[in-house]
Amino acid sequence: MDIFSLQPIKVVQYNINTEELYSYLKDFIHMLYFRHLLVNPRDRRVVIIESVLCPSHFRDTLTRVLFKHFEVPSVLFAPSHLMSLLTLGINSAMVLDCGYAESLVLPIYEGIPILSCWGALPLGGKAIHRELGYQLLEQCTVDTGLAKGQSLPSVMGSVPEDIVEDIKVRTCFVSDLQRGLKIQAAKFNIDGSAERPSPPPDVDYPLDGEKILHVVGSIRDSVVEILFEQDNEEKSVATLILDSLIQCPIDTRKQLAENLVVIGGTAMLPGFLHRLMAEIRYLVEKPKYKEALATKTFRIHTPPAKPNCVAWLGAVLVSCCHLALLTACINHFLSHFWSTSGHTWEPFCVQRVLQPNRPHT
Amino acid sequence: MRVRQRLQTGCRPCTAIAQAAKAMQAIHSHCTCCRACTAIAHVDSHYCPSCLENMPSAEAKLKKNRCANCFDCPCCMHTLSTRATSIPAPLPDDPAKTTMKKAYYLACGFCRWTSRDVGMADKSVASGGWQEPENPHTQRINKLVEYYQQLAQKEKIERDRKKLVRRRNYMPLAFSDKYGLGTRLQRQRSGAPISALAGLSLKEGEDQKEIKIEPADAVEEVEPLPEDYYTRPINLTEVTTLRQRLLQPDFQPICASQLYPRHKHLLIKRSLRCRKCEHNLSKPEFNPTSIKFKIQLVAVNYIPEVRIMSIPNLRYMKESQVLLTLTNPVENITHVTLLECEEGDPDDINSTAKVAVPPKELILAGKDAAAEYDELAEPQDFQDDPDVIAFRKANKVGVFIKVTPQKEEGEVTVSFKMKHEFKNLAAPIRPSEESDQSSEVIWLTHHVELSLGPVLP
Repeated sequence: MDIFSLQPIKVVQYNINTEELYSYLKDFIHMLYFRHLLVNPRDRRVVIIESVLCPSHFRDTLTRVLFKHFEVPSVLFAPSHLMSLLTLGINSAMVLDCGYAESLVLPIYEGIPILSCWGALPLGGKAIHRELGYQLLEQCTVDTGLAKGQSLPSVMGSVPEDIVEDIKVRTCFVSDLQRGLKIQAAKFNIDGSAERPSPPPDVDYPLDGEKILHVVGSIRDSVVEILFEQDNEEKSVATLILDSLIQCPIDTRKQLAENLVVIGGTAMLPGFLHRLMAEIRYLVEKPKYKEALATKTFRIHTPPAKPNCVAWLGAVLVSCCHLALLTACINHFLSHFWSTSGHTWEPFCVQRVLQPNRPHT
Repeated sequence: MRVRQRLQTGCRPCTAIAQAAKAMQAIHSHCTCCRACTAIAHVDSHYCPSCLENMPSAEAKLKKNRCANCFDCPCCMHTLSTRATSIPAPLPDDPAKTTMKKAYYLACGFCRWTSRDVGMADKSVASGGWQEPENPHTQRINKLVEYYQQLAQKEKIERDRKKLVRRRNYMPLAFSDKYGLGTRLQRQRSGAPISALAGLSLKEGEDQKEIKIEPADAVEEVEPLPEDYYTRPINLTEVTTLRQRLLQPDFQPICASQLYPRHKHLLIKRSLRCRKCEHNLSKPEFNPTSIKFKIQLVAVNYIPEVRIMSIPNLRYMKESQVLLTLTNPVENITHVTLLECEEGDPDDINSTAKVAVPPKELILAGKDAAAEYDELAEPQDFQDDPDVIAFRKANKVGVFIKVTPQKEEGEVTVSFKMKHEFKNLAAPIRPSEESDQSSEVIWLTHHVELSLGPVLP
């Protein structure tokens, strides 16, 4: 495969066969080392941040590429939720990662992820892009060089995902709780009695040199509501946190509720965090959670980096203190391990790091 | 019409057919590598792509692989150029008079962005002096780094101490007084560090103060969006695109007025080594302005080149003659034999036609650089068979092969093996008593695949 081809290729794909994935990962990591990092792969240890729900097949292929092709000295797989705690210097927190494919919540208590209380929903960047692309095709018009006001499907079959993403990042935002509830009511109301709050102004988005896409204002604030609409199972991004909290042991709940950490690119939408806190406080009064949860105070942290870089910063902190030496799998060990089992190890728990106040026994 | 040579030795793991032009050849072990998979790349030297200044690797690591002098436009990622204007400025001695002073600013020739758009003041020096935006979290992050480094060091010392402690437990107490080891144990009881670990603790002793970090505080309230956010119209030229934001992960500014330029990223020169025999295949010159190589072992320089010269109309099940040329890249006479692929050959997957290759060994004259200027040179007499060899010119020879397409439609692809001799010219000259030849002759076989175009109806 030619790494200089102009078509962008998604590297993180879970449904392609191993050969293809191997060659994509090989080219991707080659580019990382020789275009960006500019070091020899044999000189540096590798720390990889991953989601705990990452399929083993992907992880295995990545490790094979790193060890067999690039011959790195050691590899450490670190769960992203745990790494974000290192940037804050705390031991326990309820971490919500709002990413592309899904939103994943994982509580961590005293440095140990409570793996049984995880929760995930496919409400992330991908869902927003799908909804936004659909709304754009339905409602928006395009001015081309030749004609004005043409409907979008007549000009292009579908809007490419990177353009949808750019539109989302630059024009969409999350309304506060009251406004959001009204928008949802107007959408689901069949008889049309609920009125939608006045939409924000339209935006002219230039597609390329000739075409201008008129993004209708009502799309800008309604598309993001899918994250907070409760579907038939009454689940939304906010209920993820509360459901996970209910599953956690009782004596951990107060501490977890007062230490919320939200990471991930989707959390960078303007107004997201404010709306999330308001939703949590609103839902906690509902009968489903009122009796189950005694704690009513919720507090959120502000990590020293943008939400999409927090997990990476945590991994940087792990790597710079040579902890990679202590718990990583080293090359010679792995080649033996591979031939016997063909699988990688399970995600580890960084216990010692996150217990700074306890005396070392 | 394309020629593809799959190089027999060394490219089995790579499923892509290596084009001969991209293949490397290790002279010492005559193993041929496909560049993509079997050659290991090493970082040789760093240099800036716009000012072509070489940078030692230690400095590159310190500067985070960025050039100190050159900038990239934050809007379109083009290289910024420094422009000068003259502004009237008051003289230092006499405030009443004004002279023209030069002021420099950065500007992009492509998208017309200037450093004045962001509010960067013009500088009086041509290069350097541009202030970098400071990340407000740097101090906190540095403190966290120091804290965790110290924690890891403590862990390491404790781990080492545990190892030694375990060992000493095996010593029976009876020895304590007899052999004067009581003093050691007594010292241990008083709490002073033992001599074996004294070195370790002294190192820490230099920086005795423990670095403590305050755990971050959580906040109750998050700032809501301002009231006019819902009604304010957006000017998209003021809002940064996702790509512009992600190029500056520290800041990720939303407004274009906060988009500062970044230093230019460096490039590297790579040297390649064969994975199997660990010999150097390609080593570029150190100087960034030079495109030459110190070592360049490319397969094209050693393997005879196969080219298609003319193709007749190819029809289904009709035998036609295709004219190929074989060019000899080395200076000695080379013997080439073309062989047909055997049944069940694992390399032979794409061929859709039968091919009959000339059975005899072909002789190719050596490449003589002066041949075209030397008019009086006698042409070497090779006694070519006119059925097989169409023409001969210097180091090139034209060969007929007979092709019979086996499929009614589609591309005609033929494959055959090419066997040629490979003289290891770089081997050390052995003393003449050992062998008659100064270099070994090795026969290499390559799989060649030709794509001859569609079958005509």
